Amino acid sequence: MLEQTAILAEQRVPDSRLQDSIDARVIRACQQGDREAFRLLFEAYKDRVFSIARYSLGDEAAADDVTQQIFVKLITRIGQFRGESEFTTWLYRLVINTCLDERRKRRRFLPVSEFEPLPPMTNTANQRSPETGYARQEVADSVRHAITGLKPKMRLPILLKYVEGLSYEEIADVLGCSKGTVASRLNRAHKALARRLGHLRDEFEL
Amino acid sequence: MFSKHVSSLTSAYYHDELPPEQSRRVAEHLIGCVRCRAECEEVRFGAMLAAQLPLIPAPDSLWREIEVALDRNDRTVPVRSGPHLISFLLRPRFALAAVALIGLVVTVAALLMNHTPAPAGASWDVARMRGAPRIGSVLISDKAKLGVGQWLETDPNSRAQINVSDIGQVEIDPNTRVRLLETKPTEHRLELERGRLSARISAPPKLFFVNTPSGVAEDRGCAYTLEVDDAGNSLLHVTAGWVALQLRDRESVVPAGAACATKAGIGPGTPYFEDASASFRTALTRIDFDSVATDRSKTLDSLLRGARVRDTLTLLHLLGRVDGNDRVQVYERMAELVPPPQGVTREGVLALDQQMLDAWKDKLKFYWSDYSSPPMKFFKKAWIRSLGALHGLEGKR
Repeated sequence: MLEQTAILAEQRVPDSRLQDSIDARVIRACQQGDREAFRLLFEAYKDRVFSIARYSLGDEAAADDVTQQIFVKLITRIGQFRGESEFTTWLYRLVINTCLDERRKRRRFLPVSEFEPLPPMTNTANQRSPETGYARQEVADSVRHAITGLKPKMRLPILLKYVEGLSYEEIADVLGCSKGTVASRLNRAHKALARRLGHLRDEFEL
Repeated sequence: MFSKHVSSLTSAYYHDELPPEQSRRVAEHLIGCVRCRAECEEVRFGAMLAAQLPLIPAPDSLWREIEVALDRNDRTVPVRSGPHLISFLLRPRFALAAVALIGLVVTVAALLMNHTPAPAGASWDVARMRGAPRIGSVLISDKAKLGVGQWLETDPNSRAQINVSDIGQVEIDPNTRVRLLETKPTEHRLELERGRLSARISAPPKLFFVNTPSGVAEDRGCAYTLEVDDAGNSLLHVTAGWVALQLRDRESVVPAGAACATKAGIGPGTPYFEDASASFRTALTRIDFDSVATDRSKTLDSLLRGARVRDTLTLLHLLGRVDGNDRVQVYERMAELVPPPQGVTREGVLALDQQMLDAWKDKLKFYWSDYSSPPMKFFKKAWIRSLGALHGLEGKR
């Protein structure tokens, strides 16, 4: 299984396929100090962890620092993971808490912003034709900017829902709140985004 | 059907997170309730927007950096048991060598304290202006380099000057702590943790930024001072050009002659010209930062009565920060001072139509421009007086 996962990492397959292959055996290998197993874990989650840090903290240098901290903490604390919750819940709790600690340390209230504008995306996966591709990129840039403008209580559920793909229950586990609270915060966040980006309605033919 | 509205359930309904029976009841309610249907559409649009959120690829160098950190954690220095090592070192022939070694280490340390090592990678030139500023723990002799991630700190008696690449200079006052966050052709960014800096920048907008605990100052080709207190609150004074201050969804754009306070946890206040009356500024501070004020309308009324033509800078920003009847009052006072241009309607302004607000702002900018030079002061006063007479606003400055 480890070899199969390593092949997937070598082939640079999407994170979702890598994540599917991260099972109890990889985690156990990490707990036994297997650096290669940890590398597989890192490759499976690095973009998602970095994305949350980037959207939470507002600048690339801070996101880089915090992502490093998270993975170093992960490997040093993975021995504490007993399998009582999902590994992803445990991981994202670590991510969120580290980001919140970093923000408190900097005495900053994000957005990151809120703070620093994110550079325009050049990811060609979003581009089909020059016209539609450009429009999609503009929409993505506007959305990213709007997300960084949300208050943290609204931004974190949005990131966990749409970047990490977690369910309401999983988000509640990560954030340590009730499912109803998650629903309420997502409600407010959706409405805030809709109000802020109302000028993009035509792009979605609403 | 629900007797109560279901707007609080719309996101969960959209994501199919409700139990089947509850989901069915929400669907039934939406058929008959226009208000909830409209809210549901809003949530659906918001969800479609959020679904566009892209994943940001982690930097390629990240694994290497993590490995270095892990190796550092793993490394241990083997230490022999105490008695053997100590007795070995206490032998006479080694004692003299040990003393010489200690002396050498102390001398090298003293030399290093006064030598600022050049950082790897991009950096800015720093000159000591007075006293003993330091980069990290190292005192600056005359000149040094401030690398990305490094802190520059001044004590009560020191000052320093930073060359911001080739676009300007920043002077660092005493008791100030700043860090270089980024320097590249498309972005230069400092972090001001506390203290005061003065910047003179000649660059296009969105190139030079200063992060503070309560907001980010974006330079738009200008000169300004920015100070941060120990609580993370800051005060920006602009002496030339424009500076934008932003935190979350609050943005304040501050021209020359104006100032703007920011408060930790809240963000930028509303910009104001520094020659506005004391009562105007007091009322503005209450509106911006006093969330528990119960006589807000009275405070707003006092502010509006004291507003001059150039205080439309403040009023234009306030339009987006108040609502309902307060917004109507702000609009009416603005229109009284400087009527909106053709094409800008009352309804559009009250709905915060961005194009109309921008058009009105273009007209207002004339009244906000720098009053610092006496000939300009005279010319502008005469021009504004004549405009005021034309609009029947004589004496309303």
